[in-house]
Amino acid sequence: MPASFRAGGGICQITLGFIALGLGSSVWGLRAAEVSFEKDVRPILKAHCTHCHGEEEKPEGGVDLRLRRFMDAPLESGGTLLVPGHAGRSELVQIIRRGEMPKKGKKMSEPELAVLEQWIAQGAKTTRPEPQQLPPGALISEEDRAYWAFQPVQRPALPEGGLSGGITPVDAFVGQKLKAAGLDFAPEADRRTLIRRVTLDLTGLLPAPKEVEEFVNDPAVDAYERLVERLLASKAYGERWSRHWLDVVGYADSNGYAEADSVRPQAWRYRDYVIRAFNDDKPWSEFIQEQLAGDELAGVTHATTQEAVLDPRRRDDLTATAFLRMAPDGTGDTVDDPKLAKNQVVAEQIKVATSSLLGLTVACAQCHDHRYDPITQADYYRLRAIFDPAYHWEAWRTPAQRLYSLYTAEERAKAAAIEEQAKAIEVDARAMGKKFLDEIFEVEVLKLPEADREPYRLARATVEKSRTPEQKALIKKYPSALALYSLNLYDLKKQGEVDAKMAEATKLRATKPAEGFLMALTEVKGQVPVSKLFNRGDHEQPKQAVQPGELGILSGATGESFKPVALTSGSSGRRLAYAQWLTSGRHPLVARVLVNRFWLNHMGRGIVNTPGDFGRQGELPSHPELLDWLADEFVQSGWKLKSLQRMMLLSRTYRQSSVSAPSLKQDPENRLYGRFKMQRMDAETLRDSVLAVTGALVQDSYGPPSEIGRDPAGRVVAGVDKGTITLFKVESGGKADFRRSIYLQVRRTRPVTVLETFDAPVMVPNCEMRSQTTVAPQSLLLMNDTFVLENSRRLADRLEAEAPGDAATQIRRAWLLLYGEPAPEGAVAEAQAYLQEQTQSLTQYHHDIQHAKGAPKPNPPQEALASLCQVLLSSNRFLYIE
Amino acid sequence: MHAGGFGLGSLALASLLQQDGLMAAPVKPATFGEATYDLLPKQPPHEAKAKAMISLFMMGGPSQMDLFDPKPMLTKYDGQKFPGEIKYDNLAQASSKVLGSPWKFQKHGQCGMELSELLPHLSKVVDDITLIRSMTSGVNNHAQALYAMNAGRTTAGRPALGSWLTYGLGSETQDLPAYMVLAHPGGLPTFQGEHYTNGWLPALFQGTVIRPTEPRILNLDPPPSLAGRPQERQLRLLRAFNEQHLSGHPGELDLQARIASYELAANMQTAAREALDISNEPASIKKLYGVDNPVTRDYATRCLIARRLVERGVRYVQVLNSGQSWDQHSALLSSLPKNCAACDQPSAALLLDLKQRGLLDTTVVHWGGEMGRLPVLQNDAGRDKWGRDHNTYGFSMWAAGGGLKRGYVHGETDEWSHKAVVDEVHHYDWHATLMHLFGLDHNKLTYQRNGVAASLTDGQGAKVVRELLA
Repeated sequence: MPASFRAGGGICQITLGFIALGLGSSVWGLRAAEVSFEKDVRPILKAHCTHCHGEEEKPEGGVDLRLRRFMDAPLESGGTLLVPGHAGRSELVQIIRRGEMPKKGKKMSEPELAVLEQWIAQGAKTTRPEPQQLPPGALISEEDRAYWAFQPVQRPALPEGGLSGGITPVDAFVGQKLKAAGLDFAPEADRRTLIRRVTLDLTGLLPAPKEVEEFVNDPAVDAYERLVERLLASKAYGERWSRHWLDVVGYADSNGYAEADSVRPQAWRYRDYVIRAFNDDKPWSEFIQEQLAGDELAGVTHATTQEAVLDPRRRDDLTATAFLRMAPDGTGDTVDDPKLAKNQVVAEQIKVATSSLLGLTVACAQCHDHRYDPITQADYYRLRAIFDPAYHWEAWRTPAQRLYSLYTAEERAKAAAIEEQAKAIEVDARAMGKKFLDEIFEVEVLKLPEADREPYRLARATVEKSRTPEQKALIKKYPSALALYSLNLYDLKKQGEVDAKMAEATKLRATKPAEGFLMALTEVKGQVPVSKLFNRGDHEQPKQAVQPGELGILSGATGESFKPVALTSGSSGRRLAYAQWLTSGRHPLVARVLVNRFWLNHMGRGIVNTPGDFGRQGELPSHPELLDWLADEFVQSGWKLKSLQRMMLLSRTYRQSSVSAPSLKQDPENRLYGRFKMQRMDAETLRDSVLAVTGALVQDSYGPPSEIGRDPAGRVVAGVDKGTITLFKVESGGKADFRRSIYLQVRRTRPVTVLETFDAPVMVPNCEMRSQTTVAPQSLLLMNDTFVLENSRRLADRLEAEAPGDAATQIRRAWLLLYGEPAPEGAVAEAQAYLQEQTQSLTQYHHDIQHAKGAPKPNPPQEALASLCQVLLSSNRFLYIE
Repeated sequence: MHAGGFGLGSLALASLLQQDGLMAAPVKPATFGEATYDLLPKQPPHEAKAKAMISLFMMGGPSQMDLFDPKPMLTKYDGQKFPGEIKYDNLAQASSKVLGSPWKFQKHGQCGMELSELLPHLSKVVDDITLIRSMTSGVNNHAQALYAMNAGRTTAGRPALGSWLTYGLGSETQDLPAYMVLAHPGGLPTFQGEHYTNGWLPALFQGTVIRPTEPRILNLDPPPSLAGRPQERQLRLLRAFNEQHLSGHPGELDLQARIASYELAANMQTAAREALDISNEPASIKKLYGVDNPVTRDYATRCLIARRLVERGVRYVQVLNSGQSWDQHSALLSSLPKNCAACDQPSAALLLDLKQRGLLDTTVVHWGGEMGRLPVLQNDAGRDKWGRDHNTYGFSMWAAGGGLKRGYVHGETDEWSHKAVVDEVHHYDWHATLMHLFGLDHNKLTYQRNGVAASLTDGQGAKVVRELLA
């Protein structure tokens, strides 16, 4: 939502914007009658005054503005703070009018002051009796509690008008607001647009021309429904949709934090777990529980995990806990302050967990009470206490100490047996070397004078540190006779024999079964540290102890939350209890936050368009009833994402055209969804689609990530890094270089250039919403980057192979492959003329320069075709999803 | 400010509507969708002193009482309990031990401006700068303070200053991005893209980030066989296809912006390389900035590049640090000198260099962060751990050129360098003043969104600080 919704003083503007778009709704209670202290006045005082006047231990000047009745206290100056009915005689107003207050921060705006005056003029009343006692510090007021995001989700009734004429529930809510703003849905997008849109959306890949034609020509009324089903069932669906979650989670294959940014070689198992969860349509209640408390579900602690990872079901649960291991983590690397580094891991992880699941900026309360939302610092540490037994930052386990071997008993025995044999071979090899040296010595020693032979023999047989000075002198006198080391100096061939024997051991060791490891989060049995509030977030200054618990505002809203029960495994049970509460269906935020993200990813704009912040600094929902309806539906249908997606995808809202002049004019940011929001392909979709249309994409799923490296031009590309400190170099990694982007290694300090340029996030620690930029480096990449040039050539080769020498057919084919539609004849002619011209230029070019000997023979027509393919791949028609 | 809630909004609305007699009238529809935007140079409505700006942004909050704002009282009370009243972030949690600046201050230049020994190079150019000692930036958090200093208000997602300037004035060059960001080799500052976001202004006005090491811009070289005319021909065809596509999507600003970005990219292929290449700068210039010294090399190179960009018509250049490296909650004694050593000489050199080229008169150089620090000690766990906490109630920054006074100190904090007490300059006043230097009116440079005119300083009652003007 527009920032005016977040804007501070521009209150009139906020409301104008609201009304102009017809968003005023009962939930927000837009009524302009009596001024209410609780609703209207207190927020102003909270924003400008109570920070000094009430929320600190001692209110400044003895003035406490948290409650109305406190304002009757006489002022130190003798003046009267409040004279009900007479704003002009109230010091509260006068001191602001004189500009003396607020001393710091924003000045109170004229409309705000007007509200204050009006309230006093109306008698300075409260709506309700005020509480008799207040706890010190920030006040969680009735209004805080009444804030929309903290209310339990209640399924709203569908808007009047029902669901006739292909209108889905989604459309009923959206349509209602459109209508109120004098708008209507755009007409349904044509089938070509629709299949391209939904295929890219669900799979991150373009539809094949054949699929497009089948859909366009499918006379069945449920053609679109079947298309959606096919896509939801495809493997590519998980490879695409897992990406959205991995953004939020901050997935990376490296540790970050420290300069080393060491590789996290086992992270990919979690990535695969997520992909499978999406493809299997695992209920999100389970998905969340496993990620937060898979170890407790599996009934293990640190000591018993090693055994449990061999059980496939429990292994899955344990793999999921890597969710809580995704934060940047420098504790295995060299860092300036190791303690700080540990604390930072926990802090970042809490940030990830809360922004992803609660949609609140809980992390702001790490050092002090939250400035905008009713989250106290004590709340923060209560929440942190849920996770403390697992992290236990004073009995810290480094990344290497959290790995559990995936060897089975047989594999382990086999590996041990192989190791034994290898060691035996090494013993033999060493003995062989010694034997050779002894033989050589017997020859060498004879070259010494007779008298020195026996003493030398003795000196050689004595270990070095026990030799007498005489013995040492003797050896120094005849150094070459010693023959204790360096067989190669005496006899290269014999050294070769020893080396060959040693190599047998190495070779044998390579036959051990590969040992995989699982990175997991577990607790150590019986170790439950006392959680403490850290003064100013500083781990060096622990203060009072806290118990694990829900944020006050969230438990208060529904009067319930969770109670940890220690588990028989010895784990504290805190995370499991918390996860069960989060997924109970009664938590006010989790389902809302999730469905909002799903909606955002389909529609290009969130109902709450600050998906990681549902608090007061975030934006308000454009369609609060729709949000609640979806959240409830999600929970009622068993937390199944695919069914929710069907609801969204089959709606008219999703299926409408992206072109609508009235909507664009009246609502350019598309807050009302009066058209489909045109979107640029995101980074991964772009790279994968380019590879797919050229035929180069390798659809091998799962497993360790493809490597990346820096090429001589400084780009980070798929391939095997062969660089040194002084030289960038990358070699082909074969098929692995052409896998889908989700399988490329995510190195925090080395983002892949193609992806980074098109706004793929760098995970520090996670990404709540991607930006969509339009900057010149993107154009430069499409013009000059090897990735684009190579794939343009590949595409040209593909076209030439399919229709040799037939430019017109090639052009038409390219249109179908890239755009999913027949090429307009005008464009074909234009492209043909272009090919002719470029062929001439290129012929001239090759004629003019001296090619190196042995260079491939130039092929100007084919190069011209490649340059045309590049134009098509760089075009807006390709880059944008309509 | 959601703290306002909707009840308040409705009231304010009601009074506004009554004032304007609009209560019954339909709200005027906003005009959107037809506008097109470009980066052609635009004449500002008023006389402009400044044409370009270089922002040396210091994320984290440089410690003003150790750099710019000498306070004998701090030295006097060093190590003692803070005797006055202090505006702590949170009373229960702050240390109350005064920390006198461990560094000496001295008067410099004809103007006699007092600066810390940590800034020996800036000390030599004090007669060219305006030092503001009474800045305030609102909320005591990095994020909100950054938004305030960099984008006008304490809320996220708003267009950065550089976007507003390029939106209002376009660019003097069509060969380089109008708004360029020079990132630090250690990575972006915290809140990353918020530093250079176009917010809700059209995408055309967003900052383009330049890589911190060579190659500073990737992909500037066309493949040899396409270089020159073949690539021009290619881009002509691309443009034709894109225009045809746009005609089916009239008013889509993103599509327009991308078409424009190809034009710019084509020009950048030659212009950017030349602009970013400092190898032909004379040795004396490199030495002046400190390119030859490993300690200053990175910052010197980026300052020098910033000058070259402004020289070539770029409207706004921001030079960034990484993380929030000025956020000295601890280890102040070792890390503050380190930070200063890296940027003092290059920053001062930038002023000298612009001046000797006659560019300082039309270029605003700004050096400062989003906040300052408290007079009391934080992290009292040994001298090497000492630090200072946040302070947005009074801090310092300097600026020069583009019509600002020279050798001038504006405003004062109290005797502890805690709160601004004389001539407080709010972040929005500073922005209003900047806009004024550029011949713009901060109230009138607006962008229509959702039926209202939004501006950089939006409804905060910002005022041009006349005393800063030369």
